[in-house]
Amino acid sequence: MSTRNTISRLVTLGGLCTAVALAATGCGAGGPAPTSGSAAGTVNVLVEAGGHAELTGVAEQCTKDTGIDVNFVELPYDGMFNRLSSEFSSGNVSFDVAALDSVWLPSFKDAVQPIDEIFTEEAKKDIFPALVKEANVDGHFIGLPAWTNAEIILYRKDLFEDAKNKADFQAKYGYELAAPTTWKQYQDISEFFTKDGMYGTDVKGAVETEWLAHVLQAGSPMVLDGDNVVIDNAAHKEALDFYVSLTKSAPPGAAQVDWAAAQNLFNQGKTAMTRFWAHAYRQIPTDSPVAGKVGAAAMIGGSAGVAGVPGPWYLSVPKATKNADSAKKFIKCAYDHNGLGIESSLGLASRISAFEKYQDQPGYESFKPLIETLNGKATATRPATAKWQQIVDTVLVPLLQKAVAGGDSATLLAEAKKQIQDLLK
Amino acid sequence: MSSRTAIPRNRATTEGDVTGQAAQPTSKVTAPQRLRQRRGVNREGLEAGRRSTRTILWILLAAAMVLYGFPFLYLLFTSFKTPIDTIAVPPTILPTEWTLENYANALGRSGVLASFINSVQTAIISTLLSLVLAIPAAYGITRYKTPSGRVFIMAALVTRMVPPVAIGIPLASMMSSVGLADTPIALSIAHTTISLPLSIWLMSSFFEAVPRDLEEAATVDGCSRLGALWRVVIPVVSGGIAVTAIFAFLASWNEFLFALLMTAIRSQTTPVVIANFQTQFGLDWGSMTALAAVYSIPVILLTLLLQRKIVAGMTLGAVKG
Repeated sequence: MSTRNTISRLVTLGGLCTAVALAATGCGAGGPAPTSGSAAGTVNVLVEAGGHAELTGVAEQCTKDTGIDVNFVELPYDGMFNRLSSEFSSGNVSFDVAALDSVWLPSFKDAVQPIDEIFTEEAKKDIFPALVKEANVDGHFIGLPAWTNAEIILYRKDLFEDAKNKADFQAKYGYELAAPTTWKQYQDISEFFTKDGMYGTDVKGAVETEWLAHVLQAGSPMVLDGDNVVIDNAAHKEALDFYVSLTKSAPPGAAQVDWAAAQNLFNQGKTAMTRFWAHAYRQIPTDSPVAGKVGAAAMIGGSAGVAGVPGPWYLSVPKATKNADSAKKFIKCAYDHNGLGIESSLGLASRISAFEKYQDQPGYESFKPLIETLNGKATATRPATAKWQQIVDTVLVPLLQKAVAGGDSATLLAEAKKQIQDLLK
Repeated sequence: MSSRTAIPRNRATTEGDVTGQAAQPTSKVTAPQRLRQRRGVNREGLEAGRRSTRTILWILLAAAMVLYGFPFLYLLFTSFKTPIDTIAVPPTILPTEWTLENYANALGRSGVLASFINSVQTAIISTLLSLVLAIPAAYGITRYKTPSGRVFIMAALVTRMVPPVAIGIPLASMMSSVGLADTPIALSIAHTTISLPLSIWLMSSFFEAVPRDLEEAATVDGCSRLGALWRVVIPVVSGGIAVTAIFAFLASWNEFLFALLMTAIRSQTTPVVIANFQTQFGLDWGSMTALAAVYSIPVILLTLLLQRKIVAGMTLGAVKG
């Protein structure tokens, strides 16, 4: 008993000593303190985990050019908005630069400072017009697009080039089988390849961006036109009906299909085409049955032509940082060396010249379609409202899920209009 | 066992006598014999009932094990799959090709080792803080039984009803104000807010089970109140302390939200790093499951190590009164 007591005491004492020692050190194992402004030559960059790789090359180059050390605070996408809200509202920020998803810009416009000096005339010409417009909030540029993305068409080149498929398609539809450029062609090709356990395309009921791209292609601003809710107009209905019409050529359970599911289906060879973010072209696993057999084309067009919804990330400087000068120097580096992002695993940039430099190189076949889509006349960014994410989560996604499950499109759109009006009150 | 003893007795009445002559069926069965027969039948019925109950319990146990164990096994198998295998449609349970590539990727990622150290550091500090605060609090509540003690223990429970995010954001702000931003200590304090109420309740039930006579005897032998607590009561409830410690450790080890809100570069814990494998641009299932599998090893070892204490602690309150 006494031996056990002695051991127990020793363990307790050891534990307490450990605690005291740990408390005394008061630091973690990850590196230096991230307090904003702790060192004039150090910049802390808050970034979503996927974007870290995009900025690594830029950070290294920036250190070489300016002597500024860059630390990355890497967070998962789902938690980043909460973290930003928390720090911005407290007025104490642990970062000097934040990489913000474009949908967050309106929410944080009052917490970040203008960076107008970076948006020279030359810079404005080299950034896609929709992004220049989105970065400008209340007359000031508050974020530099670090990289951008848009949905394009990825298709099975091997199936499209197969002689029998070509002949059969020609016989059935009366025109040549090729990457689709219109809604009708997309419908026909999807229908054609839906056979023998394979599907022509996917329909994503759990994400809204693709349907919104079709709305733009049909010639309407998406959901909001200024302060007016226009979700029940003819273009929205036309786009929704087109979207739902594809369910018969898509795997069952469309209501639950999201980006990950659609990407998996395509990479597994279960779908012949997908409308997907351009970065996915370079992320097809080498052991995938479709590796080396995929072609890329610009997003399809409707009556208003080709259009996509860009997915850019902006670098912004919080007002609360004490290190604004170094932060702005880093952003300037990110603009000057924007092309370095293309060599990362994600392989994206935001400057037109950076994309154009790589577009003819093998492995970057998705860049021309991406440039074409981003330059599309009807291409537009999401509405600049702080309520956008709420509208997406509570109205648009449920609307799509009901629609792909067989709901009446006109009724659903009318209901959605009322819900959005209530949210915006 | 009882049926075996009952059957020969019955046989004696129906099969034959001691002379070895052929048994003659007898029409006259005495009352005690009938009673014995009935008891034998009852015992057989009882035994059959017990067997079926045991079978049902085994089935339920197996079902529970599958229910709890399968997700972990699936995670483990996925960590050995090739990238294309991890996203197979329909999914496969076993890898078609076994690979350690995911482990190499996950462990080779910068910051993973540091995050492990941070997780250990945070969980230890948080567990010790919980115990140091919960033991005296629970002891005071159970031994002094004051109205304020009852209010206190109920109030402790109420804190469990507050959504963590509601206290996470102000806590992050407070820690930043006192210069503890992005430190394991700040995160440990935040984690203690989760584990402390549960620890107080657990320790209270364990202290309740210890007879007051033990302390009184210790006092008679010259111990002070604190001496009796330290020398007599604490050793008796050591199993309970182990249970409480493991709950507090697990609460901190697996916690995500506070870690997300309060850590950045130097104190980021592994749950946040695991979550970072899911990005806006894709989900690296293989690496994510590999790191999750590695991260669960310390907890499994800790549970196995403290298994006896946990069982002892769990049954401690069962015999009180």
